[in-house]
Amino acid sequence: MRPPRQGPGPLTWIAIIGVTCLSLFLFKKILWLVVPFMLGLLLYYLLAPFARRLVMAGASPTLAAGVLSGGLLLLLGGWLLVLYPLAIANAGEWQAGELRYLTGGGLALESAALGLQQKFAILRHAHFGEDFRQHLLNLVNHFAENHLGTMLATLAAWLPSLLLTPAIAFFLLKDGTRLRKFIGNAVPNAYFEKTLYLMHALDRTARLYFTGLLKLFAIDAALLAGGLWAYGMPSPLALGLIAATLGVIPYLGPLLGCGLAVMVAATDLPDQAGLIYGVLGVFALVRVLDDVLFLPYVMGKSLHLHPLLTLLMFFIGEAIAGVAGLMLVIPILGVVMVIGETAEGVLLDDRLRARHVYARRLRRQEARRDPYRRP
Amino acid sequence: MLNRLIRSKFDPPHLAALRTIALFSDLSRRELRTLDGLLHRRSYTRNEIVFDEGEEGQTVYFILSGQILVCRQGRPEEAAIAELGAGQCFGEMALLDNAPRMAQARAAEDCELAVLFRDDFLGLLHTHAVVASKLSLALAHMLGQRLRVAVNRFVA
Repeated sequence: MRPPRQGPGPLTWIAIIGVTCLSLFLFKKILWLVVPFMLGLLLYYLLAPFARRLVMAGASPTLAAGVLSGGLLLLLGGWLLVLYPLAIANAGEWQAGELRYLTGGGLALESAALGLQQKFAILRHAHFGEDFRQHLLNLVNHFAENHLGTMLATLAAWLPSLLLTPAIAFFLLKDGTRLRKFIGNAVPNAYFEKTLYLMHALDRTARLYFTGLLKLFAIDAALLAGGLWAYGMPSPLALGLIAATLGVIPYLGPLLGCGLAVMVAATDLPDQAGLIYGVLGVFALVRVLDDVLFLPYVMGKSLHLHPLLTLLMFFIGEAIAGVAGLMLVIPILGVVMVIGETAEGVLLDDRLRARHVYARRLRRQEARRDPYRRP
Repeated sequence: MLNRLIRSKFDPPHLAALRTIALFSDLSRRELRTLDGLLHRRSYTRNEIVFDEGEEGQTVYFILSGQILVCRQGRPEEAAIAELGAGQCFGEMALLDNAPRMAQARAAEDCELAVLFRDDFLGLLHTHAVVASKLSLALAHMLGQRLRVAVNRFVA
């Protein structure tokens, strides 16, 4: 029942990648359900240790799940109640700030592009630095009429399903064991122990992945905030937290976070030209530390994936389902891999299959027995 | 004894069935209910194999009804090791280590078993330490008894 010592065979790997791609394709169609479910799982693994502590203290699993999910819901509700009047009161100021930062960032990019054009003759004919600021200003000025309606409609469509998240976390905390029993009951006796092991392995993989994601978020936020603070950036903690949150989206997220910090640096401290390079350095260093140290250590433990395969899967995920694919591809691959590995073990185990066939024959014989005979 | 009798009188049927297991006899109703949440119920037909010798074990089985024959692999008649009845358990070494099963277990007659997965037991150590320690103590007691019987048989 231990995990197989050798990894899955080549055919199984092909099947695993195929099923992962197919799942991504299907999930793309029901993202409104998949995203709250993934967030629910994330919350579940975040709250599970606290639920265990409450159970240890004498609470029933239902009470522990209710207290934690309810507390979280109250926290979110309270946060929204505070944020809403704040947003209404400061909407004008925030909009002006947004415009200011975008202009500042645009100016910095424009001057960098012009500087490059002056130094390299080949770039002079490209004119890529010109009107950059104007493009940005146009984007900001016409943002409401071009994009705001679509964004609000998307938000309105997603909000009800996102509200499912605490409910999913609650039911997973409350009925996780019952769910495992339910699945176990549906499996024939011969495969029962393997199925229990599979469910345990899936749970362990998902737990390591999601807790790894949370750990990585905390590490990134701390390092970025520390680095930005050391360079004298304004609001380093907020920037670190936003950049770490965006960092959840592979490849694209760190770029967005870095762009945001550069915009703030260029706008708030335009005289310090070296600051932008410092900010870029901090983001580059955190990226390298993530890729070389934290990602293999924190996440690698959970999935044991080869870095090349991980990279390939990111590209495939992006091609199939865009940004959602980038975020979903690795957890889906992890789950499909565990299932594939176990299914390979079960399907290639002649003894288990023979036992199952034998048990079925015994049951059939039992069913055909003379009904009038006493047992 | 009286306490146990009173307890068993008022237990709901599914808990009363578990109360017949020797290892669970010291558990309170609440503790038994906690354990029941982790146990899987399985039905086996006469002659059906529960597990094979050499198979890696992750679960311990408790006999709720029927009889189980523990024997050398594939030799139920000439190499029977033990015949276990309701209230007894087998495959308990799986709780202690990941070692392969030492013998084959097959249903000597139609039986119903309660199954505890090793990791659920380990989880119990964290969440319900009292239940887990009572269970561990009862298990140690049972293993000690079996060892004593084996030693006596060897000496004789």
